[in-house]
Amino acid sequence: MTLIRNLLSGVVFAAMAALPAVAASASEVTIAIGSEPSTLDPQQRDDGGERAINDNIYETLMARTPAGELVPGLAAAAPTQIDATTWEFKLRPGVTFTNGEPFNADAVVASVTRIIDPALKSEQMSYFGTIKSAEKVDDVTVRIITTGADPILPSRMYWMKMVPAAYSKDPNFATAPVGTGPYELDSWSRGESVVLKANPKYWGGAPAIDQVNYRFISEPGTRMSGLMAGELDVITNLLPEFVASVPKSEAVQGLETSVIILSTENPTVKDLKVREALNLAVDRKALAESLFSGYATPTKGQLVNPRAFGYNKALEPYPYDPEKARALIKEAGAEGKTITLVGEAGRWLKDRELIEAVGAYWDAVGVKTDIQINEFGEYLNQLFDKAKRPDAIFVVNSNELLDADRETSFAYQAGGTATSNTDKELAEWVIAARTETDVAKRQALYDEVTKKAHDNYYLVPLLNQQDIYGFSKRLDWKPRVDSKLLVKEMKVTEE
Amino acid sequence: MGAFLLRRIFQGMLVVLGVTLVVFVATRMVGDPAKVMLPLSATDAQRAAFNHQMGLDRPLGAQFITFVGDLSTLDFGDSLWQRRPAIQIVFERLPNTLALIGLGLGLAVTLSLPLGALAALRPGGVADRVVVFGGLFGLSLPQFWLGLLMIMFFAVTLKILPTSGVGGPSHYILPAVTLAIPSLARLMMLVRSSVIDELNQQYVRTARAKGMRFHTILFGHALRNALVPFLTLAGWEFISALAGYTVVVETVFAWPGLGLTAMKAIERSDLFLLQAIVFTVAIMIVIVNILLDVLYKLIDPRIKLA
Repeated sequence: MTLIRNLLSGVVFAAMAALPAVAASASEVTIAIGSEPSTLDPQQRDDGGERAINDNIYETLMARTPAGELVPGLAAAAPTQIDATTWEFKLRPGVTFTNGEPFNADAVVASVTRIIDPALKSEQMSYFGTIKSAEKVDDVTVRIITTGADPILPSRMYWMKMVPAAYSKDPNFATAPVGTGPYELDSWSRGESVVLKANPKYWGGAPAIDQVNYRFISEPGTRMSGLMAGELDVITNLLPEFVASVPKSEAVQGLETSVIILSTENPTVKDLKVREALNLAVDRKALAESLFSGYATPTKGQLVNPRAFGYNKALEPYPYDPEKARALIKEAGAEGKTITLVGEAGRWLKDRELIEAVGAYWDAVGVKTDIQINEFGEYLNQLFDKAKRPDAIFVVNSNELLDADRETSFAYQAGGTATSNTDKELAEWVIAARTETDVAKRQALYDEVTKKAHDNYYLVPLLNQQDIYGFSKRLDWKPRVDSKLLVKEMKVTEE
Repeated sequence: MGAFLLRRIFQGMLVVLGVTLVVFVATRMVGDPAKVMLPLSATDAQRAAFNHQMGLDRPLGAQFITFVGDLSTLDFGDSLWQRRPAIQIVFERLPNTLALIGLGLGLAVTLSLPLGALAALRPGGVADRVVVFGGLFGLSLPQFWLGLLMIMFFAVTLKILPTSGVGGPSHYILPAVTLAIPSLARLMMLVRSSVIDELNQQYVRTARAKGMRFHTILFGHALRNALVPFLTLAGWEFISALAGYTVVVETVFAWPGLGLTAMKAIERSDLFLLQAIVFTVAIMIVIVNILLDVLYKLIDPRIKLA
């Protein structure tokens, strides 16, 4: 081995001189993300690569603890409600952007006005559609006005990054970002890397790590090789089967939950007994163990994320009971009937495997599952088609705002983006919950929504997936429930 | 020659226009950018608003007129994905892909000629067996797997080369070799069989009978005649690499090239970027074809340029 190594070293001797700086310095980390940011404008696109970097440069009025609890960020305290449509935020005083601009009420008004301006063509509008305007009260007080009552507004403000009032109009803003956060941009070589350096004047104290290098690697095998070769310190979306091969790994309950949405109108699946059987037929625990090596949690009878507001703690998980499922199918006269299960492949972790496994479980209790794996665009056409719902369609829902409004308006409320039931009463509850400002009443409404959908088997909720990260030996970090890669929380130990 | 070039350039322009038109229609028929780009939770109204802001709700005819009008100034519109001029992205990524193809194909071309000729000298001999076995082996290796295997060996185990990405010259080695191997195998096999054919020709026997030295026959005649099919295949290798065959290598090595960018543009239904990429690649393919025709003429004066 030594001989081979020496020989090869000789062959590529010239190349060696140009080896990349291996992540070595104690105060420097290298993070691999799946895709290069399309822009570094924090308000324009809905893009994971952009977020991974800008989450360290920009900040928001509200923030979350690693466990997901909503806490004040750039706001000095939780907002107070003036009336049904007005929220007042007191701002943290004395914060400045890294270009010297002050963070004050003007900056908040500018940030809100900018993102809801149609001229920005922001893809983030699906998070901020309810916001009408923002008004300055005094330098550290600002009011945000919504079109209707909006109890989710504090969560929304956890998603809206605050930009400097003047500089955000600069044409270079999208490539040379300026925020209030713990890091500022050092350089961006397109296609190659983004480098951030610590903001020494950060109001929360200078972070422990001085420099962050981001690299863009979409192929999971290549990401893992980079970690094993010592080039990388953090990789995201580590495949469960690779966990044993990396120096260190951490997993945390993630934002994504897989589900199959059943139509209440189509023949066969419109029968409640059939829908119950399709739920009882699936061994979620076995799926979590075999497909995800245990890095997934079986859902408890609902699609709502367990960390989200509105999660129904009282619901029982659907048991795995193939005997009863078979009996129900027989009773409903659905034996040998075809059920079309629509899905896609490659968009979400192990999507095809999951769909095929569920299809096999369904076949085992007596129905015939016709699995249709479609190209993503065509799959979306079917997912969004209001007139013609598939018998069953697979989707993975991600709840960024950690509020049950996301799941309930997406897959529970009749007429929702991916809903396949026509339950008017349920839809009214979802709408009522969206504007209910009393926290206890709102939780009660969601408990009713999820209970009714549970008892009517509108959905086949599958697994709540965990996010798995791979680390180098020297890196120390507890991943967050909200999937944000906050470098200020990371530490490196001396080797 | 001059008239030939003019004619080919004119034909090439028609081809490019035709391809662009097909792409224009196809991209608008297949994907709906608002569905793919916006979060799944976006409402129908938000999707409609997005398409309106991007000008995608206008009648197809009106969109086409704008498209052709802007084409004259190489303006393909802003990429939906990166929100900056699409052609700027193409010019940024194209050099990376061209460098990779240049190195990989350069390697394949320079190695395939001597190896193929060597094998052809004694069909069935040791050298020939090694070349044929190596060729079949190279052809049957999936590039994706080969790339990962090389990363594991050279970057993870030996730690003498970087795993992926761009940077110094060492970053080129693994992706270029991975790209070269199937091309090298195909070209080498072709040289071998053409040279064997040539060496069995009547004129070779005549030349040897009159005492001409073997290496003059081989290099001056046999190999030169074998160059015409070789050039055709090498051109095909170049064109197919350019037209997207580099995407596997670019994915495995996180190489910021045009192939990977095209794939991402398709994933995101980024019609404007896709149009800019296809237009650029079509132009380059036309240019390569014209160059090949000229080269044929230089190698074999009997070939008529029509």
